[in-house]
Amino acid sequence: MSTSDVLIEVKNLEVLFPIRKKKLFSSEVRQLRAVDGISFDIKRGETVGLVGESGSGKTTVGRAILRAIDPTGGDVVFHTNGNDVDLTRVEGEELREFRQHMNMVFSEGPVQLSTLGADRLRLFRSKMSLVFQDPYSSLNPRMTVRDIIAEPLIASGMMKDREAIDVRVREIAERCKLNLEHLRRFPHAFSGGQRQRICIARALVSRPDFVVCDESVSALDVSIQAEIVNLLKDLQEEMGVAFLFIAHDLSVVAQMSHRVAVMYVGKFVEYAPTEKLFFEPKHPYTHALLSAIPQADPDVEFNPIKLEGEIPNPLDAPSGCRFHSRCPFARELCASEVPEWREVTSEHFVACHFTEEFEFSRPNRNTKN
Amino acid sequence: MLSVENLSISFRTDEGLITPVQGVSFKVEAGKTLGLVGESGSGKSITTKALMRLLPRNASLSGETRITYRAKDGKDVEIHKIKPNARSLRHLRGGEIGMIFQEPMASFSPVYTIGNQMMETIRLHRGCGKREAREMAVEMLNKVGISNPSERVDQYPHEMSGGMRQRAMIALALSAGPALLIADEPTTALDVTIQAQVLDLMRDLQRDLGMGMIFITHDLGVIAQIADEVAVMYLGTIVERGATRDVIRAPKHPYTQGLLKAIPSLDTLHDRLSPVPGDIPSPTERPTGCPFHTRCPDFISGICDVNTPFEVSPVAGRSVRCWLHSDVQGGRSAA
Repeated sequence: MSTSDVLIEVKNLEVLFPIRKKKLFSSEVRQLRAVDGISFDIKRGETVGLVGESGSGKTTVGRAILRAIDPTGGDVVFHTNGNDVDLTRVEGEELREFRQHMNMVFSEGPVQLSTLGADRLRLFRSKMSLVFQDPYSSLNPRMTVRDIIAEPLIASGMMKDREAIDVRVREIAERCKLNLEHLRRFPHAFSGGQRQRICIARALVSRPDFVVCDESVSALDVSIQAEIVNLLKDLQEEMGVAFLFIAHDLSVVAQMSHRVAVMYVGKFVEYAPTEKLFFEPKHPYTHALLSAIPQADPDVEFNPIKLEGEIPNPLDAPSGCRFHSRCPFARELCASEVPEWREVTSEHFVACHFTEEFEFSRPNRNTKN
Repeated sequence: MLSVENLSISFRTDEGLITPVQGVSFKVEAGKTLGLVGESGSGKSITTKALMRLLPRNASLSGETRITYRAKDGKDVEIHKIKPNARSLRHLRGGEIGMIFQEPMASFSPVYTIGNQMMETIRLHRGCGKREAREMAVEMLNKVGISNPSERVDQYPHEMSGGMRQRAMIALALSAGPALLIADEPTTALDVTIQAQVLDLMRDLQRDLGMGMIFITHDLGVIAQIADEVAVMYLGTIVERGATRDVIRAPKHPYTQGLLKAIPSLDTLHDRLSPVPGDIPSPTERPTGCPFHTRCPDFISGICDVNTPFEVSPVAGRSVRCWLHSDVQGGRSAA
């Protein structure tokens, strides 16, 4: 694969959150390493899946790439028309311009960073957690569907002519299989699946090259979820947009993604093309995670690999390999030395000292007798 | 041990009377697990709340509803007849029927320790002293696999992680010694690795204690692993029921078929998913006839949208509510 296909290059991305603990006369500051040195790339028109348990830092990665959170270290390079731009170094107006190319679909709908000027961006950041906690806040209840979808175009100054905007909104609404009659309605009249289509239309109206989908289908019922997954795939084919698809549901990620990365306590443990990752996992954590998916098939033996304990607190992440405290194969070296992030076979990256010794196959395939 | 017949629940709302649960009947046997599957709005949670008489004030049960429960002392209790403030109801809740909810944080009081809350339950239902209750609480926590139970018992809910809280919730529900356990999406908020642990735990506990269990979930994968029998709900009615293996192997109702097909599977990575077309109708706009006819691929015009299908049994041990299968019983298509 030539480098010209690469859209986004993430190098050693690091996000630290300072945690202040107040004492009587002093305060102690500790660093929570939410994302700790991650490198990967996303190609044009590709979907990269990002899985991991809650607290592993998946959402932070998505937001740091979009600069909704400022990374504390590393580079995010956005390749656009031959000019490489290091997003971690862009400021002010220029940053705003770049946000037109990137949009973010949060778990219940997109938040258009492109609609926020530098001053409002601050305000928005301080309210970030509210956006995620209230599922209905991502669609303004006082705006019609048409205005919601049109907002990124207007706010970014991309289009000014009302009629041109209308044409663009109708076009994207049609592609997202929204009823054009509904454009005059308000969001409260819509069901979860329809709302999600409005959110997708809003994310794609400015023709971005890259969209982060953070748990975009997790809240939907299975029968509706399948429809949204199909829609996202169709839109990707038509428009050539790249997705970073963040979800905790492994089967949905497998269905959506070309390549999948597995995260554990702020670090990638494995990154590979979907088939390789799911059928020939090379990291013990990936293998355990896959074995824990319950299959809707009573004849398949369900034998999840039991991991001891719970996901560690990133404030005191284990030394060496972060998985060593729960890994069934851990040895002395694992506790002392951080495993190198290396390409074991073509396009298959793993961070494990002993991966060559393991021969994992797809879990839960033995049928009961 | 529990038999529910013709359960219908109506709510008085500003938009008029809505009936989100209509004519639901099922039985739960001791030591067995009944899985209730359905999407949001299918009425699965309200159904089980009715069993505990936990419905809000604007709800009412219809006159034909019969909920009979065989208590631990062998007496039959008619739950639908109990007065809302009766002493027997307090005994029933917790003591006879235990319940686990999806969000453990909402079920614990944040201002009391885990042990405090468990001891309250144990003393109320078992009538023992403080010291004895504490010992039992520690033992229960140990049983659900919480390490250092004698220290954990003095911790507050916020000091525990999600998986541990859910275990503590199970311990709390079991500490009163219920004979029937209702689990309302107990693993939905958990990560897969923790979910696997909790499912395993529940299976073991059920086997050891011989409890009956009603397990509510929208995840057919979880159902396949834990339930002996499954009932699929759509818009407040059970559309299909049978032994879990049979229902998943050979679904009869178009809704069950659609639901199973919509699940993404690793075996068909590059195929398109097959969604069930359309949206789930809102309870105020309940379709006439078969509730599923608006989304059904095999919809027969003039029958499905006019007449409500009744329950038929195409194979022994199975039942389905669908006009496609009604001819099995000798063409009673004109109801």
